[in-house]
Amino acid sequence: MTVTVSDTALRAPSADRRAKVSRGALQGERRRLYLPMLLPALIAYLLFFVLPSLFGVVLSFAEWSGLGTELSWVGFSNYVSMAGSELFRASFVQTLVLTLVVGLALFLIAGASMIVLRTARGSAFIRAAVFLPFMISPIAVGLAVSFLFNPDGLINTVLGALGLSELRQPWLAPELIFNVIMAGVVWSAAGFYVVLVMSAVDGIPPSYYEVARIEGASELQQFRYVTLPLTRDMLAIAASLWAIAGIKTFEIVIAFVGTAGTPPPEARTLAVEQYLRVTGGREGGLAQLGEAAAIGIVMTMITAVLIVLSRRIQRRERLELA
Amino acid sequence: MIRAGLALIRALIWAWVLFNVGMVVWVLLNSLKSSREIFDNPAGLPAIWMWENFATAWSDSGLGAAAINSVVLTLVSVVLIMALSIPAAYAVARLGGRSSGPVATFFAVGMSIPFQAFAVPMVLIGAGLSRFMIDWVTGVWDTRITVTLFYVVLSLPFSIFVLIGYFRSLPGDVEEAAALDGASPFRTFLQIMVPLAKPGITTVAVLNALSLWNETVIVLMLVPDQSAQTLNVALLNFYSNMQYTSNWGGLFAGVVIVVLPMIATYLWFGRRIVSGMTQGIGK
Repeated sequence: MTVTVSDTALRAPSADRRAKVSRGALQGERRRLYLPMLLPALIAYLLFFVLPSLFGVVLSFAEWSGLGTELSWVGFSNYVSMAGSELFRASFVQTLVLTLVVGLALFLIAGASMIVLRTARGSAFIRAAVFLPFMISPIAVGLAVSFLFNPDGLINTVLGALGLSELRQPWLAPELIFNVIMAGVVWSAAGFYVVLVMSAVDGIPPSYYEVARIEGASELQQFRYVTLPLTRDMLAIAASLWAIAGIKTFEIVIAFVGTAGTPPPEARTLAVEQYLRVTGGREGGLAQLGEAAAIGIVMTMITAVLIVLSRRIQRRERLELA
Repeated sequence: MIRAGLALIRALIWAWVLFNVGMVVWVLLNSLKSSREIFDNPAGLPAIWMWENFATAWSDSGLGAAAINSVVLTLVSVVLIMALSIPAAYAVARLGGRSSGPVATFFAVGMSIPFQAFAVPMVLIGAGLSRFMIDWVTGVWDTRITVTLFYVVLSLPFSIFVLIGYFRSLPGDVEEAAALDGASPFRTFLQIMVPLAKPGITTVAVLNALSLWNETVIVLMLVPDQSAQTLNVALLNFYSNMQYTSNWGGLFAGVVIVVLPMIATYLWFGRRIVSGMTQGIGK
């Protein structure tokens, strides 16, 4: 017994040293692997994403119709002429309206779901079903929704059958089309945000709710004093995700008209406006790459502002749930 | 009062669920109706089941060729994305020194830049690349290769960001044990860490496949040739020709062709897609 103890006592340091040496060598070997594994992705990202994006900023100060045409530097005139353009202002306002109105709707839907879904029966099924439209191509969503609201479509037919003929509307006419588009966006996006905030609600220990119930808190109070404070970080994340997604709204608008037409000015978002300038539009006009680049920069700035604003929802101190 | 409010919310949520299921059924039924019947009988079962809608959509309207384009572009891009992002994420998560934090942030920034900031340079690079290849290198160029290039780089930020999270969550002792058994660091990565991270890797691959399958604007901007376009764009073209063809049944068949693989994937992976999307982002 004593022998073995002293034995190990004697041997331990050398074994330890050996381990330390080999760990050092191992660390070195691992370090040498770092760059070869990282560089392919980093170079591709830098070369084909980061540098081009920066080039986009430069281009927004130029007037250009593409390779083989003359490029001239025009300073801020793309931005100035945009500010004076009726079309641009309309699409700018519409993009903001869409992001804020749909964002508010998503927030209300997600909030309402947080109150009832935690304890609802069939919660898993509900989540799966409401999430579904988010997975589906926005083109398909746009086609289906626009067909639903077609003058001879199901909505008007059902309204007629219910004896509510006076509610029948030319939904896709310029005055109403943007509202229909926003409804379509809400439908396709809401499920994602519900599931996102519910994943945070699931992380709250059930004992908190038990205590609240014993203290006599109603379901609304439980929401106000347990759920809401403990999900603020996720709400902040959800808000900035929506800001990033909402500003980019494009496909669903295009799906309302197909590639053969241009969306009416009342329905255009900034992304649509940019697309028309990149491609030269339906009439085969000249591409206006400088202006298109400037629109991209404006969109980046709006997104950045909205992300900063949504960060403010976040709580200052970090929270650890037991 | 509050009771009634909560019951109302519950009822509305169930109505929403029913609406979603109803939409799927409605699209499916419309894809099997004649164009006349879609307008005359918008809500009922088809009188004659028009399975040939799918045949005409597939062959006459070019959705078949577009479907092949979509499948190939999605698969090739996803393979390349994973080949680049798995090693990079592992390097940042497990091998890096001081630089790995900033590198991770550098990739993450890419997620919040709207595509539109990138659109014009992308179109120019696309045009320049095909001109360069045709004039100087191969003599021919396929714009689908350009699309693949941008699919890959645009997917890197999200993929690397989520994979870093997965690799960080793996226990470190496994690596040490492998090293003590004499495995080189690269072998440890390939034979031990990648299999351990497989659930995360699958999720990221599926999420990329879904988003690329649904991608439209890049193809619209880079691929003028209709025979090289993907399903979503072909569907838009199909819709644009509707004033001449009025093949509404075929259009709904097209929608089904686009949507069905997504729904199948969703049913197959279900929860994992949802939790992958939400957890990766929540971290």
